Amino acid sequence: MTTVLKTEDLRKQFGQLTAVDDVSIEIDDDKITSIIGPNGAGKTTFYNLLTGVLEPTSGSIWLRSGEGGELADVTDAEPHEVAQAGLSRSYQITNIFEGLTVRENVRVARISHDGSRLDFRSRATGDESVEADVEELLELTGLTDIADTPCDTLSHGEKRTVEIALALAIEPNVFLMDEPTAGMNPTEVTEIVSLIRDLDEDLDATFVVTEHNMDVVTDISDRIVVLAEGSILADGAPEDVLTDERVTEAYLGSDSV
Amino acid sequence: MSATDTGGRVSRFGSAVAEGWTRERFGLLGAVALVLVAFAPPFQVYLFTDFLVVALFALGFNLLYGYTGLLSFGHGLFYAGGAYGIAIVLRDLGPVIADVVGAGISPLVTFVLGGVVGLVLVVLVAVPVGWLSVRLEEIYFALITLAFGMLGYSLIIQDPAGLTNGTDGVIVLLGTVDLGGFSLRIGGRRIYYAISAVTVVAAVYGVWRVVNSPFGTVCKAIRESPDRAAALGIDVGHHRWMTFIVSAAVVGIAGVLRAGLASVASPGLTHWSTSAIAVIATVIGGATYFYGPIVGAFIFLYIRWAISRFPALEAYWELFFGALLIAVVLFFKQGAVGGLLLLRDRLFGDGGGGGGGALDDGQASTAADDGAESGDDNVRADRGDNS
Repeated sequence: MTTVLKTEDLRKQFGQLTAVDDVSIEIDDDKITSIIGPNGAGKTTFYNLLTGVLEPTSGSIWLRSGEGGELADVTDAEPHEVAQAGLSRSYQITNIFEGLTVRENVRVARISHDGSRLDFRSRATGDESVEADVEELLELTGLTDIADTPCDTLSHGEKRTVEIALALAIEPNVFLMDEPTAGMNPTEVTEIVSLIRDLDEDLDATFVVTEHNMDVVTDISDRIVVLAEGSILADGAPEDVLTDERVTEAYLGSDSV
Repeated sequence: MSATDTGGRVSRFGSAVAEGWTRERFGLLGAVALVLVAFAPPFQVYLFTDFLVVALFALGFNLLYGYTGLLSFGHGLFYAGGAYGIAIVLRDLGPVIADVVGAGISPLVTFVLGGVVGLVLVVLVAVPVGWLSVRLEEIYFALITLAFGMLGYSLIIQDPAGLTNGTDGVIVLLGTVDLGGFSLRIGGRRIYYAISAVTVVAAVYGVWRVVNSPFGTVCKAIRESPDRAAALGIDVGHHRWMTFIVSAAVVGIAGVLRAGLASVASPGLTHWSTSAIAVIATVIGGATYFYGPIVGAFIFLYIRWAISRFPALEAYWELFFGALLIAVVLFFKQGAVGGLLLLRDRLFGDGGGGGGGALDDGQASTAADDGAESGDDNVRADRGDNS
């Protein structure tokens, strides 16, 4: 067991509002960790701090890049630097390259990972190792059949899968999933949950998931962290956390459970 | 002849088009057309050269707009940069070069050297201007590039360094190459057309390679979603900056050719109304297609020429463009190329796929909106610079 991601007293204030209130957490590589909490608990703000989109008011963020690497301070890193350091994310509101095909989406991510972004002399489709990686990833995520479809014509569930394929294409050490089942129908939820399980088995990446669907949370999590009003309310194994009185209380009046 | 017979012929023609008109055959046809133009009457040769130059101007602009999602209203600055670069070299260094290489060949050497200087000058200007501009997005990017363009306009007119000759501009005399019995007037309509055609075709091929490279693929991703691109490890600001420089360089080449064609480098080239020509041509042709700006430039220049043939209408010719733009914005957001592809699909079924270098329609509506606002005023300065 190794710590792959760590925050120390991480804090974010928007004026008088404290969205994330001195959160210290260590994420281990042998578990799927779920971060849950009522709406407005600070989950998405927390993700935006981790990925460098927002600058923390105080505190620090540490990320281990690759096997056997050291924890490095990424508190002040730009989003692209955080991604290069090994932290990838998928978005709650689907954020993919809508105008491009599925294959082109994944190819962009592989080009980025490959470091060939500034190569303007070769053909984008000409690098055999990139193309092989693209094919492999499409197969892994079950997107081969729709590889040449423009993304703006895909179904919601398919777009969510492309979202995951994109995040995986840069071979992250840590993968933050922001509500992977958002807006999905029950069949699609079942499919994406089994995909996440398979990916966790097959890949070295450590999965961190925020989720509203409690069935999904109990299904995939080895550890649950409950955020409420910006701070950690409970942290532990699912059976302990979900029976915790304070947790039930935090959710009262909310229809999420 | 029966109706079914006709129907059969149409569908046979359709499949012949779908199967036989490969990229190579289109290329060959284009090359033949380019050669044939050289034998047209002198004014037509001039008009076609004008079209090629404006097409390259718009194509360079669209690398930043249609492919990367940044609308510049200041690309006239780089158009002027190329033009003044070659004009000043021809004026100030012509005699020096003649001393070094001999008077016979010196016009050609000076022309080539001037072109290179123009290109280098444009890149030197684009590096800091781009670095500052790409920090902004959308309307703010449009405004800062507009400001840089007008800053260049003021500097050229004020002429603090005594290089640009103020409002009159710098006269461009291309001269005649004379090699004992063989002489060639570089500025001659047909010779200059040949030089322009070769340069533009090479530059278009270069841009085509860029948009189909890993670099260009990343540009498209940034256009679609900059924050998603950043989350995949792409330094979006840096990539936009590099695209800005490449785009400016392509426009600079067009500027070099413009100086020789108009026989003058004039301040109007960096006026915002010249920058708007690239926007208008791109919107008319279709920003989402590689060839959109080229088709748009063709329509722009030839409609303007057609209107100018009727003296009674000429005074109102900006009105025609206003109406044309409104029609494009309202009914053909994909521009002329989009309209043609739609027509082809209707006639022959969806056989040919996306068509040459098709992008997507993500940017089309913004392109149309911005173009419409500037539509009526854009052409005045261009008219001046061509006459």
